Amino acid sequence: MSVPLPPPPPPAAASATAPAAVVPPAAHAAARLSARGLVKTFGTTTALAGVDVDLAAGESLAVMGPSGSGKSTLLHCLAGILPPDAGTIALEGREIGRLSDRERTLLRRERYGFVFQFGQLLPELPAEENVALASMLLGTPRARALDLARQWLAALGLAGMERRRPGELSGGQAQRVAVARALITGPDVVFADEPTGALDQTTGADVMRVLTETTRAAGASLVLVTHDENVASWCSRRIEVRDGRVVGA
Amino acid sequence: MRTVLALAGGPLRAARASGGAGARLTPGALAVIAFAVTTAFALSVVGGLRGFEGRAADPTSDVMADLAPTYVTLAWIAVVLLIVPLVSLGAGAARLGVARRDARLSTLRLLGVTGPQTVALTALETAQQGLVGAAIGLAGYGALLPVWTRIPFMGQPFTAGEIWVGVPVLAATLVVVPLVAAVSATVSLRRVVVTPLGVARRTTPPALRWVRVLGVVGAVGAFTVVAKVQLGFEGAVVTVILLGLLGLVLGTINLLGPWTISLLARVMVRRATTPARLLAGRRLLDDPKAAWRVVAGLGLAGFVAGIVSVLPGLAAATGDGDTADRLLAQDLVTGGILTLAIAFAVAAASAGIAQAASVLDRRQEYALQHLAGVPVELFDEVRRRVVVAPLALVAGTSAAVALVVLLPLFGMALVTAPQGLLLLAGCLLGGGLLVVAATETSRPLMRAVLRETDVRPG
Ligand SMILES: Nc1ncnc2c1ncn2[C@@H]1O[C@H](COP(=O)(O)OP(=O)(O)O)[C@@H](O)[C@H]1O
Ligand SMILES: [Mg+2]
Repeated sequence: MSVPLPPPPPPAAASATAPAAVVPPAAHAAARLSARGLVKTFGTTTALAGVDVDLAAGESLAVMGPSGSGKSTLLHCLAGILPPDAGTIALEGREIGRLSDRERTLLRRERYGFVFQFGQLLPELPAEENVALASMLLGTPRARALDLARQWLAALGLAGMERRRPGELSGGQAQRVAVARALITGPDVVFADEPTGALDQTTGADVMRVLTETTRAAGASLVLVTHDENVASWCSRRIEVRDGRVVGA
Repeated sequence: MRTVLALAGGPLRAARASGGAGARLTPGALAVIAFAVTTAFALSVVGGLRGFEGRAADPTSDVMADLAPTYVTLAWIAVVLLIVPLVSLGAGAARLGVARRDARLSTLRLLGVTGPQTVALTALETAQQGLVGAAIGLAGYGALLPVWTRIPFMGQPFTAGEIWVGVPVLAATLVVVPLVAAVSATVSLRRVVVTPLGVARRTTPPALRWVRVLGVVGAVGAFTVVAKVQLGFEGAVVTVILLGLLGLVLGTINLLGPWTISLLARVMVRRATTPARLLAGRRLLDDPKAAWRVVAGLGLAGFVAGIVSVLPGLAAATGDGDTADRLLAQDLVTGGILTLAIAFAVAAASAGIAQAASVLDRRQEYALQHLAGVPVELFDEVRRRVVVAPLALVAGTSAAVALVVLLPLFGMALVTAPQGLLLLAGCLLGGGLLVVAATETSRPLMRAVLRETDVRPG
């Protein structure tokens, strides 16, 4: 099944935050997200042993590597989920590695979008409210947020499914709702950890296409964790993590 | 593996580490407490019933011979009132055990444990919790005996011997409670095993039928008619009919509860302007029966409170009657308040374990929402709204229904003795606060769940 090309996102979609400028992924564009010397340990396990990463505006970066190599930990540090033990992370030049718990939660809500493997939609809410919720959390009035949500769902090929609850959607459809939820706030960066890990090959490719194309069209950068070559091929750049270090670019 | 191990031990350890009295209320401990509370109060109620039956069979005074049969009936009413909350508390405890086990289900699968083995293990673990809870409950029953023997009935407190249920009953309790816990857990877990995606695959539930209203209207109507007619009659037959109808009213309240909550939820959803309100409304609408289970105890207690509130008036009205009438009136108030207090305690315990189970059931959902930037305060607010909205509705409505039912019986006594209404308001407020406080015990558990970052499906 092929997905209709997602049209550009609704112009007002980014109203809750400053609309992100669409910058072509040029090699030396000023980095939107830049990490230096990231170290993270869990007890005696060193998950990250000094990682440098740069992410340009509009760029999509595949983080690859074997299981347990530190991919998720890297994503969590970049996304403000875990504070690194050492190193710096700058988002648009602002240091975010030392923020408090509360500040990091706010940062994730306002500046980032997330697509996880499975189960991030609230089961009681219809698709449109799942998407609208992210916008309402930033203060958008309900009616306006619902309006935006419907536009996003339509743009992602889900017109007519707005009232369905997550349990009434296929895995691929649920992931597209998750993409809409991630993008409705006009994020600077979208983080996706194995977003197609629970889908079959064809559906996974569909979701990847929608994810990369819509994210790029929305002017957001993408950090995607995967161990799947096919999935990574949708991204404009890739890095390989092994034993907590970046070994190839 | 780390995921599930962390979910099994992590939140509990983290909850303990975060300190505070509430922090030590782990799900396992909560289940044990719930079984203990259920056991202690169930035994006390059975003991009370025995005491009244003993006095009826073997009265030691004329007054007692006069009153005892009525008291047996009244004691049965108290039993009826307390059965629903006690049963739902026990069932809730078993469900909590399952929620916790569900969190570890994937570990067991990774270790190569099969579905039937998982069910057996869970049944066994819940039975153990039931056994520990029942044992503590026995001790609790023993500890409560001196309290019960201080409360006068028919002008004379029970002796411990009168309300002692006997060793056979105590022994049976140690078998029955674990058994019921295990069966209940097995039933709940089968669902989890059959549909491993459980919560996430949930679809729109069918709406509750409005037909339920008819049942309640019918029961209340019949009760009112018979109550009116009774004014011209005399005799035990009418009393029995009235008591039967009272039970019917209670039963229909239990039917009407979920339906009313779904109506309330619809309004909440329609009017919601914030994410917390929207989510609270949707959650209530999704499973009004679960919300009802939590507040049912208080709903029924509210009904009792409605009855109790008229009793001081009744006592005043019959103040110049004979000794037996005065004693009966006083004891009605005592018994009503006692029933109410037990119902409140049970409702609070129910609310506490229901919240803990709900947090565990939704741990992945909560954790992922939090990773995406949803603040913990939102979940706190949703929890409060999900509990308080139906609480206010249910306690208020059932108290109002009770007043309507009793008005034809006592009429002006309500107005001439307003202290009854004040008592009612005080009871409802106190009970409500107790339930809210009990739900807040899940705060540390919630925070522990949110600290999970690795939340891939099993
Ligand atoms: N919360 C945690 N507690 C303990 N160890 C962890 C935790 N998170 C990650 N690790 C360890 O850090 C290493 C990297 O994990 P992760 O980043 O999840 O790898 P990947 O995503 O590449 O599979 C692994 O050895 C893992 O066991
Ligand atoms: Mg990973």
